[in-house]
Amino acid sequence: MRVLIVIPAYNEEAALAGLLAEIRELVIDGVTTDVVVIDDGSTDRTAQVARAAGARVLRLSRNLGIGGAVQSGIRVARREGFDYAVQIDGDGQHPPSELTKLLAATRTEPAPDLIVGTRYTDAANFRSTFLRRLGTWWLRVVLRVVTRTRYTDPTSGFRLYGPRALRRFDETYPYDFPEPESLAIARASRLVVAEQPVAMRPRQGGTSSIFGFSTVYYMMKVTVAVLLTYVRTAGRKEGTDDAIE
Amino acid sequence: MTQSSDDYLVFAAVCLVIAIVLLRLLLRERITLQGSMSYLVFLMVLGAIGLFPQASTALAHRLGFALMSNFLFCTAISALAILHLRALVTLSKVHLRSVTLTQELAILQERIDRLDDQRERPNVVRASPSAR
Repeated sequence: MRVLIVIPAYNEEAALAGLLAEIRELVIDGVTTDVVVIDDGSTDRTAQVARAAGARVLRLSRNLGIGGAVQSGIRVARREGFDYAVQIDGDGQHPPSELTKLLAATRTEPAPDLIVGTRYTDAANFRSTFLRRLGTWWLRVVLRVVTRTRYTDPTSGFRLYGPRALRRFDETYPYDFPEPESLAIARASRLVVAEQPVAMRPRQGGTSSIFGFSTVYYMMKVTVAVLLTYVRTAGRKEGTDDAIE
Repeated sequence: MTQSSDDYLVFAAVCLVIAIVLLRLLLRERITLQGSMSYLVFLMVLGAIGLFPQASTALAHRLGFALMSNFLFCTAISALAILHLRALVTLSKVHLRSVTLTQELAILQERIDRLDDQRERPNVVRASPSAR
């Protein structure tokens, strides 16, 4: 099984070296991994740090946002014939050792197309900020109303994409705040989405791009985007199983 | 609601000035003709209203406007809203294309870098983290 680990990174020089060292230590039987860091127009030494650690580096000439960066990795995975792509945030929030849990979840029936690592099913897990939990609660409600599906961690960026999800998101992937919106796309495209409890930890370096007033903007934008995306994707013929096969 | 053409000459002059600015931008290739044609047509219509207010007044009456100024504002705002919407569509298309181009450029650049590496150091295997 060939797996491409996609790490979107914007000014993550502080956390990246440690994260890549952890990935280097990772040994999973029967799995060949390759790592690509998507340098999303960083102004620090993100690309140099990634190269020095032996990772492949895609340097985006301008900042596309997390969605544009992740989609770049998805495109690489599809073109190079990887079986799966795993998204791990460049800030070190996602312990690479938890990757084994996501891979193990691919063996469940029905085979999931998209597996989302969730941090909210284990009480002992890393507890995020109040604002973040409030936002997550609201997005859960929105997604539940719009897609009639229950997601516990709609903002998680720790994900595994199977072949059908890679094909779908190669075509369309939301750019600004893509995690909740991509769940709506997946649901409307009838992809099988599964959640897998994983451990997460606080970011290991850098700063979050969502703070202050941008939190309010984030919530408003994502709410509208989820609704529009679901209606748009569900209304398309290519959003059916037949088109994705 | 009788109007002399003098009342609207200033209005026509403003349209003319904007049209001249637009033409200068076109000549300097700062904007494209394709994107500016609708704007030029809009200015010509507004300019004609300014030069021939009697005809516009008659039209305004027929459409149920009590005042010529109301007709002018309504027409101008509607036309500007349409032009703005058109610009928004174009801008969004350009944005999406630029995202795709940025991604393709990065993918190709990375491939070239790898090929260059292989050519310069044919016997060195790239130390990819966790490639088993």
